[in-house]
Amino acid sequence: MKNILRLVVAFAAALLLVQQGYAQGTVKGTATDENGEALIGATILLVGSSRGTATDFDGNYVLENVPAGEQQLRASYTGYGDFTKTITVRDGETVTLDFQLGEDAEVLEEVVVIGYGSVRKEDATGVVAKIEDKNFNRGAIVSPEQLISGKVAGVQIAPGDGSPGGGSAIRIRGGTSINASNEPLFVIDGMPIDNEGVAGSRNPLNFLNPSDIESFTVLKDASATAIYGSRGANGVIIITTKKGQEGGRPRVNYDGYYTVNEIRGEPGMLDAGNFRDVVTFFAPSRLNALGDNNTNWFDEMLRQAQGQNHSLSVSGGGQDFGYRISAGYQQLEGIIRGSETERTSFGLNYNHKFFDDKLKVSTNLRGARTRDIFDPGIGAAWDLDPTQPVFDADNDAFGGFFSYGNSLAPRNPVSAAEQRVDQGQSFRTIGNMEIEYALDDLLEGLSVKTNVGFDINQGDRNTFEPTTYTNTQVANFNGLVKIENFTRTNYLFDAYLNYDKALNERNNLKLTAGYSYQDFYEQYPLFEGQNLSTDQFGINGPAQAEDVFPSNSVFENRLISFWGRAIYNFDERYILTATLRRDGSTRFGPESRWGLFPSAAVAWRVLQEDWAEGLNNVFSDLKFRVSYGITGNQDIGDYRYLPQYAFSDQRARYQIGTDADGNPIFVNTARPNAYDPGLQWEETASLNVGLEFGFANGRFNGALEYYTQTTSQLLFEVNVPAGTNLSDRVLTNIGELENQGVELTLNANILNTPDMSWDLTGNVAYNRNEVLGLSNIAGDAGILRGGIAGGVGNNVQILRVGQAVDAFYVYEHILNDDGTPVSDEDDLMMYVDQNEDGQINELDRRIFQNPAPDIFYGLTSNFRFKSFDLAMTIRGAIGNYVYNNNASNRGYFQRVQGVNIGDDRFFLNNVHESVLETQFVAPQYFSDYYVEDASFMRLDNVTLGYTFLPKRGISSLRLYVTGQNLLVFTKYSGLDPEVGVNGIDNAPYPRPMGFIFGASLGL
Amino acid sequence: MKKIINIGLIAVLAMMSACTDLDVQPKNDLTPDVFFTDDAAYERFLTRIYAGLAVTGQQGPAGNADIKSLDEGFSSYLRQYWQLQELPTDEAVIAWNDDGLPDLVTQGWSSTNQFVRAMYYRVFFQVSLANEFLRESTPEKLDSRGVSKEVADQMSTYRAEARFMRALSYWHGIDFFGDIPFYTEDQVIGSTAPTQFSRREVFNFVVNELNEIEGDMLEAGTAPYGRADKGALWMLQAKLYLNGEVYTDGETYWNEAVDACNKIIESGAYTLMDEYHHNFLADNDRSTETIMSVNFDGDATQTFGGTTYLVHAAIGGAMNAENYGVNNGWGGLRTLPSLVDRFPDETGNIDERAIFFTEGQTKAVEAINEFTNGYTVPKYQNITSEGVPGSDPTFADTDYPMFRFGEVHLIYAEAVLRGATNGDLGTAVAYINALRQRAYNNDAGNIAEGDLNLDFILDERSRELYWEGVRRTDLIRFGQFTENGTWAWKGNIREGTTTSPHLRLYPIPAEELLANDNLEQNQGY
Repeated sequence: MKNILRLVVAFAAALLLVQQGYAQGTVKGTATDENGEALIGATILLVGSSRGTATDFDGNYVLENVPAGEQQLRASYTGYGDFTKTITVRDGETVTLDFQLGEDAEVLEEVVVIGYGSVRKEDATGVVAKIEDKNFNRGAIVSPEQLISGKVAGVQIAPGDGSPGGGSAIRIRGGTSINASNEPLFVIDGMPIDNEGVAGSRNPLNFLNPSDIESFTVLKDASATAIYGSRGANGVIIITTKKGQEGGRPRVNYDGYYTVNEIRGEPGMLDAGNFRDVVTFFAPSRLNALGDNNTNWFDEMLRQAQGQNHSLSVSGGGQDFGYRISAGYQQLEGIIRGSETERTSFGLNYNHKFFDDKLKVSTNLRGARTRDIFDPGIGAAWDLDPTQPVFDADNDAFGGFFSYGNSLAPRNPVSAAEQRVDQGQSFRTIGNMEIEYALDDLLEGLSVKTNVGFDINQGDRNTFEPTTYTNTQVANFNGLVKIENFTRTNYLFDAYLNYDKALNERNNLKLTAGYSYQDFYEQYPLFEGQNLSTDQFGINGPAQAEDVFPSNSVFENRLISFWGRAIYNFDERYILTATLRRDGSTRFGPESRWGLFPSAAVAWRVLQEDWAEGLNNVFSDLKFRVSYGITGNQDIGDYRYLPQYAFSDQRARYQIGTDADGNPIFVNTARPNAYDPGLQWEETASLNVGLEFGFANGRFNGALEYYTQTTSQLLFEVNVPAGTNLSDRVLTNIGELENQGVELTLNANILNTPDMSWDLTGNVAYNRNEVLGLSNIAGDAGILRGGIAGGVGNNVQILRVGQAVDAFYVYEHILNDDGTPVSDEDDLMMYVDQNEDGQINELDRRIFQNPAPDIFYGLTSNFRFKSFDLAMTIRGAIGNYVYNNNASNRGYFQRVQGVNIGDDRFFLNNVHESVLETQFVAPQYFSDYYVEDASFMRLDNVTLGYTFLPKRGISSLRLYVTGQNLLVFTKYSGLDPEVGVNGIDNAPYPRPMGFIFGASLGL
Repeated sequence: MKKIINIGLIAVLAMMSACTDLDVQPKNDLTPDVFFTDDAAYERFLTRIYAGLAVTGQQGPAGNADIKSLDEGFSSYLRQYWQLQELPTDEAVIAWNDDGLPDLVTQGWSSTNQFVRAMYYRVFFQVSLANEFLRESTPEKLDSRGVSKEVADQMSTYRAEARFMRALSYWHGIDFFGDIPFYTEDQVIGSTAPTQFSRREVFNFVVNELNEIEGDMLEAGTAPYGRADKGALWMLQAKLYLNGEVYTDGETYWNEAVDACNKIIESGAYTLMDEYHHNFLADNDRSTETIMSVNFDGDATQTFGGTTYLVHAAIGGAMNAENYGVNNGWGGLRTLPSLVDRFPDETGNIDERAIFFTEGQTKAVEAINEFTNGYTVPKYQNITSEGVPGSDPTFADTDYPMFRFGEVHLIYAEAVLRGATNGDLGTAVAYINALRQRAYNNDAGNIAEGDLNLDFILDERSRELYWEGVRRTDLIRFGQFTENGTWAWKGNIREGTTTSPHLRLYPIPAEELLANDNLEQNQGY
């Protein structure tokens, strides 16, 4: 680490050195393409120095202070080769040197990153999708994964909620697991990172500044992911960050925006007037419990939120090296009062070639401080009586805020937003150094590469609740101070040998074999102090706490792997890839900790066949691919295979006897935990069949994929025979799950003239999952899942063999003639008696739809007319159902009957407007009325930009305005049809709509 | 230079590749090799078996749960034991709408009822803990670990207590579920599913166990508070024998029941408290009447089950929570007129055991979920006999009197009435009158031999032991739980109706039937 820093400092210093020559002249000239058109922004470099410049709008350049004598200048331009010319410079004179650059076939070849290496796009045998920065989503984006939402077929990026910087659930081709994680593996510049959430931050990925990202590469099938073995089952997302270019002049880029956001839609709770009417009608005896205010608790809690973002980068390079330094600052308020996220980030990349390019060193170092202010949520705004006031000046016990002073009643959310402190910060640094050395001396085509990296995430979360917010009227204690720290580190060492050789004209072989070691360590010390003697110290008041509860949790796991890959290319027609990875994980017992993950794939490039000559007129590309492989999942937590004794904390002791003075003696007890000594890897076997095609010289191209993935030995926490283990449920390998789907991607370059261009990219994916087996659970049995708000232990979903994961499991509501559900007020059967036994009980619940979409799609349009550009992303899903828990838990009249809080005082709960249609008196949690079709189409973002012509000193300037989340088309009655992958809508943080005004400047 | 780099790189590669160490040890919990190096381990473990009746996990009040298939707060042994014994009877109703809870009141449960499931898994959690303790405390294991002589000397008592606690839970198991899986320390963790033993077989096992361990238990009244001694063992025997006819389908054990009662009485270790109500207050650890308790403490033993539940759930309406030593009421539990009417009056002025709160409450229960329907029962309170609130306003200090000396009087009398030949009616009447004199504070409530019959015993048990978790078993023994006897909301009818006799047993949870092929569901489910 220290050495990396030293290196960085040394090279940074070198950049600042101005090369001084005694005798100097000037070189000027023009750079043009093969047609003689001026090339704007071509790089002109003085070979042997770090000095260079770029051509202006007319293709002209001037390079001053060139040392006299024979000099070499190199011109380069993206998509064209490097051209070097020699010229003699004389002291004090100006000489002219023009460059005409030809299109360079080598450079145009598209390369895609795969695990531990890269291949030409044509050689890829797996399903690999690459999204470059120009196609990223626009908007006030905090979390990097949001950049590609809707951009890749089969990749569902479901934002958890609308909180600033909130995390997303990412599903590549549906989830392959149920109990273990379904999140893909993230690899940043070759470094697999730890993506688990921490208390101090809304999303651990937020440390990465989106504007530092060059591309995302999504690996979807087993041929592509099996090289990551036990972590490949849910797909892999490789993030490549922007790098400095060799031989480029220093370029400075700035991007900044200001954003403003607000809620879209109405939550649907009754206002004070309607509420009073309902109480008058339904519970007139409770009218005296009402206040005389007209409070919209949502208005009190929501606000117009603003934010800003600034990113600055400098990149450039010399003959053998390139660098990029970036810094960013982002600050975004959330639309719920008090919520905010802030990021201060820096990034550094340096790469250098030594010894005639034999030794390549690439270093990345990036870090950020993220700071999150957490809101108290708006759950209470859904419940609170709208006739009650926000403030109650006489209520000193609650700081002048209105409060019922009872633990069963909803708490005043404004009081929480104003009085509570809940903030976290995380410092995350990730760095790695890749060293590649060519061993041609030993064997032609052989090279060795090592990658050493670290990922350190440290931070804290502080919570303070003053006694005027939390006291024994509403909780178990008076005031709270909580300090949670976290440290998560992971260290990586990879070493591998590459062998890349054309055996002869038609046979090309590429071999890779390596070793990887990665160790993860986590520590979570926590301090909680209750019963404060004063509120005056705020979060700094631990010493004022009468009762303190310290704790610490420590975890470690390690992954050691050996892996290899062979890519054999025969005559550019057939490409065969085989990979094998052997993973050892500390999460399994000695008998089963090593797992083997193989894959094989073959691709056939039809157009390379001699007989296919005729097809060349129609197709520009035609490739068939088939792959099969096995990947694993080990994301289950540590030490689950080991017998262990858990000690009780100070609040779970037990009295055994008394001491000499008659005081009780409390024993800290120890409990043996349940465990399965034979725990094994979860394994996913996947088959993929794909077709890639292109027409009209690649202007229209796309891919069609079919896949099936079967996960066996599903890790699952299941009920074991009572008495055979030390709990009712044990995590064990049981069950089987299948995902099947089809994906289609189409790219079209519809228009391409100097004045106008239009690119359209669309993707659509169909996925269906099915539980194939669950322990010995057969037939109609199943495992209830999907806990809802309302009662304890109420579940509305089920895992059942033959059905989709977490299918809704509800009663079929009988409808009146007007289409409304039969109310419990009427003396009629409410639900269909499915088993016709004359009574309605849980046996009459049935499977009804599931939360996963059948189809989801994305459409991206990039249009340019002269200096204007217009981009938009539309995203949608079909067949995803949502259980409207907000309505089911609040849409019934009993809510106004009041809850007795002693001394004959009552509080009433507000009612969801759905009650006006349903007329339900009691809650009907299990009615299919609440399972709604949440298919939607969302206009995710629209951006209109204008680019100014370059002027001297300014190579680019673009102003833009973006609208985010402007339109949603859906039949769903709740606030937002996207409620997270479990499909239960329960008062989430509302997703805002907003506008962004920004500028990008390049020097 | 290049050669050096080559060699260096290959050396590093070889070195690192040699590292395949995958033994990472847990840091928060202890593996058995580490745990048992401390002699205190055995007391910690044994105490956990006792605590299994009180706490729900290793973090108080909730966290690191023992039972995972339902909400942790609902998984308390005592809370579910109490609910399953009281809610389906004529003594209690509860207002809440939690899935399956109203079904307990109306006898409408099925095999997926989460509360039934909680009780079932709690029973076997206790059995598993005891089995594991017995596996880990064998003389061979102690020798191999080199434990101190002091600990080794205690181990026969510890092992006897573990077996006692296993017997206690097996008794609960057959009382609630009939034929149940049977499993001892002879099987290992993760072994194949246990087979189902008949209720009678398990009953016999428990009887034999108690006989075998009696000699190793501490003398009555000498165990440290919270642990079981011979007094607890005899009480368990008395209760087993009293219900032996139900468990064995016909065999009676009246003489054995009387023997067990006599042993308790003759030990002299227990006396009736002067004030009935002091058995249920925050300082009831000083009760001379408690034979075995489940211990709670506002600071040290926090849980949402146990007496915390019993105190809070019974408070609501016009009651002022502070009067009961807590900060709020949960507005759940009330009683039915059938209990109220068993007392000479509802104020408690005549029979002080009638502890009802009536202000703002109706006597009748028109709606189960309306808290103001039905008198409330502040029998358990988090306030001491001197009126001092417990140490914490949420979590009660009050201990739960699992076995109480008062009941010994009632068991003796009932066994004699039912045909025991080793007791006499005069003594039985005297024992009953001892309870009634305490309740009336004079002899106005005393009965004569002629008054003592089985109907009287059933009612007197209710007056003395209501809300103490015995009512369902009593009603079954007297044949009044299902096809005879009606009270409000029995069978989900407001006036009450008789129900199917299969409801005398709870169903084996659906989850368990799926996990264990060897089991047959109880008839009628």
